[in-house]
Amino acid sequence: MGLTRRKSIIPGFGLSFGIMITILSIIVLIPLASLVIYTAQISWADFVATVTRRRVLASYYVSFLTALIAALINAVMGLALAWVLVRYEFPGKRILDGIIELPFALPTAVAGIALTHLTVSTGWVGSLFARFGIDIAYTRTGITVALVFIGIPFVVRSVQPVLEKIDVQYEEAAAILGAGRVRTFWRVIFPELFPALLSGFTLAFARGIGEYGSVVFIAGNTPYETEIAPLMIMSELQEYDYVSATSIALVMLAIAFLILLVNAILQGVVSRRTKGRD
Amino acid sequence: MKASQARQKKGPFAWFLIILCAVFLCVMLLLPLIYILITAFRDGLEAYLEAVTDEYALKAVSLTLRVTVISVVVNTLFGLAAAWCITFFRFHGKKVISTFIDLPVTISPVIAGLIYVLLFGRQSVLYPFLQNHGIKIVYAVPGIVLATIFVTFPFISRELIPVLTAKGTDEEEAAALFGAGTWTIFRRVTFPHIKWALLYGVVLCTARAMGEFGAVSVLSGHLRGKTNTVPLYVELLYQGYDFTGAFAIASLLVVMALIVLVLRSVVEYKGNKSDDSLK
Amino acid sequence: MNETTENYVELRHIEKSFGKFHASKDINFQIPSGHLAALLGPSGSGKTTILRMIAGLEQPDSGEILLNGKVVNKVPGSQRGIGFVFQNYALFRYMTVYDNIAFGLRVKKAGRTEIDARVKELLKLIDCEGLEKRYPSQLSGGQRQRVAFARALAPRPQLLLLDEPFAAIDAKVRLELRTWLRDMINRLGITSIFVTHDQSEAIEVSDQIILTNQGRVEQIGSPQELYDNPATPFVAQFIGQSIPVEEYTQFRFFRDEGPESVAILRPEFIRVFKKGEQQQYSTSAEEGTVEDIIFRGSSIEVRVRIHGVLLSAVRSVTDQPVEIGETVNVFIHRMYIINGETITLQENQSLRSESIVI
Repeated sequence: MGLTRRKSIIPGFGLSFGIMITILSIIVLIPLASLVIYTAQISWADFVATVTRRRVLASYYVSFLTALIAALINAVMGLALAWVLVRYEFPGKRILDGIIELPFALPTAVAGIALTHLTVSTGWVGSLFARFGIDIAYTRTGITVALVFIGIPFVVRSVQPVLEKIDVQYEEAAAILGAGRVRTFWRVIFPELFPALLSGFTLAFARGIGEYGSVVFIAGNTPYETEIAPLMIMSELQEYDYVSATSIALVMLAIAFLILLVNAILQGVVSRRTKGRD
Repeated sequence: MKASQARQKKGPFAWFLIILCAVFLCVMLLLPLIYILITAFRDGLEAYLEAVTDEYALKAVSLTLRVTVISVVVNTLFGLAAAWCITFFRFHGKKVISTFIDLPVTISPVIAGLIYVLLFGRQSVLYPFLQNHGIKIVYAVPGIVLATIFVTFPFISRELIPVLTAKGTDEEEAAALFGAGTWTIFRRVTFPHIKWALLYGVVLCTARAMGEFGAVSVLSGHLRGKTNTVPLYVELLYQGYDFTGAFAIASLLVVMALIVLVLRSVVEYKGNKSDDSLK
Repeated sequence: MNETTENYVELRHIEKSFGKFHASKDINFQIPSGHLAALLGPSGSGKTTILRMIAGLEQPDSGEILLNGKVVNKVPGSQRGIGFVFQNYALFRYMTVYDNIAFGLRVKKAGRTEIDARVKELLKLIDCEGLEKRYPSQLSGGQRQRVAFARALAPRPQLLLLDEPFAAIDAKVRLELRTWLRDMINRLGITSIFVTHDQSEAIEVSDQIILTNQGRVEQIGSPQELYDNPATPFVAQFIGQSIPVEEYTQFRFFRDEGPESVAILRPEFIRVFKKGEQQQYSTSAEEGTVEDIIFRGSSIEVRVRIHGVLLSAVRSVTDQPVEIGETVNVFIHRMYIINGETITLQENQSLRSESIVI
């Protein structure tokens, strides 16, 4: 990472660069380096032994599966919400638009206990489902519900601006050419939205895999069944088993980086598209 | 364009979508809010007041406020510096730095906590040094502060950078050609452009800092009255089966979240308006 | 005050690259004091880069920039005594017109009364009195440009640099502003350089044109010089309206300059006469057919096909009208012949021998 730069007439490079690098180092770079250094001390055998423990593998599976399902639900509902908010006028629209970001604003632990109490078999919602023999709280369904809650804003806020930019005339042109409404949507609008949709989906997915606060209450944390990967790290830490905690974390980081990479590529596609539009 | 859309007649499919979305949001988002508020008051106002004025509750609120203020100040300073540096200058390593800035939001909060434990905890090479100087970071307030800054790290810079990038650098270049210094350019030229984005970032950062659970949980040590933040205190009460207490404290956080949402709308509205007036 | 040297601006062997893009290749030129010079070239030719290097907004990789006889490479842009008008004006959007103009003086810690006097003087100069409380968003395009001009002039610079000053203005106001700017600069006597991609703008406004192409200076000279004696094929094609003709030898009275050579013709090199119209050079004219007639307001453009080549010529509105399909006499006075990198002007050879009929 060289620090040579082309001179600019705007002052303050040294100052702003200094502040930026200092804070970045203290908060992100040095702690991450400590993770790398600590990882180097873990033997390959220990690492493999930890991350292939059945209970750990099960926790990866639970985290991955529930996050994936939740992200898929959010992709569908997020697209519908974005469509409704951009294309239709109806009473209460501003309120709906305003509360979309509630999951960003509401502390995750608070969301977690509220969702748990609502969905236990005696709760307001849980009792309805209990009649049909469906349990929500303390099952993988419960985890998925919590992750849907957390992920709602990602897809909506990713799709909404792109949808706003698609000119209605563009669709009208397609309609005049004889394309039906369904066909117009799939052939004309959906391809435009797809990069944004996929990028919102990946963000929600990545967030879901790492989520802890809202899930830990509703999960019930039964080994092999409803134990999520972040909880595994937490319990290893509580036993001061840093080797195991770090090993489990490394695999999760690898997954997160992969998702980040995919997202970065997609963001590039999205920005190129929106730039071409102006 | 808006008006022509509004005039469009809505078919049954449109109404189906609207109702589906409204029900979805009500069940997923509004119901939990209402539930928290009702449960908080189910044993009466007195029990509620008792819960929120409990000595440990007040200490938790005070700690959360302190942690939040520090996090917001640090992240604001960082956000301004990073936005200035990244948008106004070309230098090698810019992409790498941008990636590292955005990294914290994609890392699980529990892992965020873990990396500070590895850096400052008892197996760390720094531990003897910290021990000798009586500095406690892990299971103490400094750890909570670090973890909170980490999870909210890109919140402000991420709001500022797109605004400055869209604006371009020519006003700053013009000011610099007159010989204006960094502070003058920032205060007179740049700041008016970014004030709403900055405020928006601060609002988001505040909300997340007050509510962070996972990362703080790792580093806290859960000492009642010492290292318990409000969300941790909620967990403590909840696990002690004091549901009224837990939901009463949670209701404070709900109110905070609602304030944040209202502020968000106001800031967005004002920001758009000031943008429009400049076109 | 420094004694003014004859050349206020001088660039010596300037090189500049952005990554792999070679933006400036051995740039050399001088601009005399008080002159208004145009940096002209197609987009991507490196003209804006040159302007930005003179202003200190970019640093050359090598070579020297001299202002008033002194090398200023290491002098920050703010101390070079220049005023800069940005392409989109870069007016401070959150400041009033008054504050915009006063900014440079305030930064230099000028006194309040001095600032006030100078701003008022400039407002009067640019004919924007009464607009001082407006914000840039409340001004018309032309007003914005004039405010940007006043802002750049406020600290009394010795050199004024303008980056595409007319690009953001609609066509009608643009012509007015051209004249306005030219008069204003002449009145102030300030050395000025402006960047443009529009050759007619450069020809009309400037004393001196520096024509750039692909990072190089193609030719430096007065508009007349560039027009009459283009130094390179590029100049011949860029300046004026040019029609390339490969098989020019089929026109009578022009010498073949070799198999690779190409001719450049301009409308003003070609005369079109109606059959029977009283004309000069009657014996050496050739016959062509009118294919199109375009009314240009002050003149008429006639498109004639001759030997299979479509040429444009200009006739006066007061001349007898020609019609589409009409057979006319066409006389070509001269043409530029491009042969590789050399360019020569060839006169119609019949002009030497033929006696002129009055």
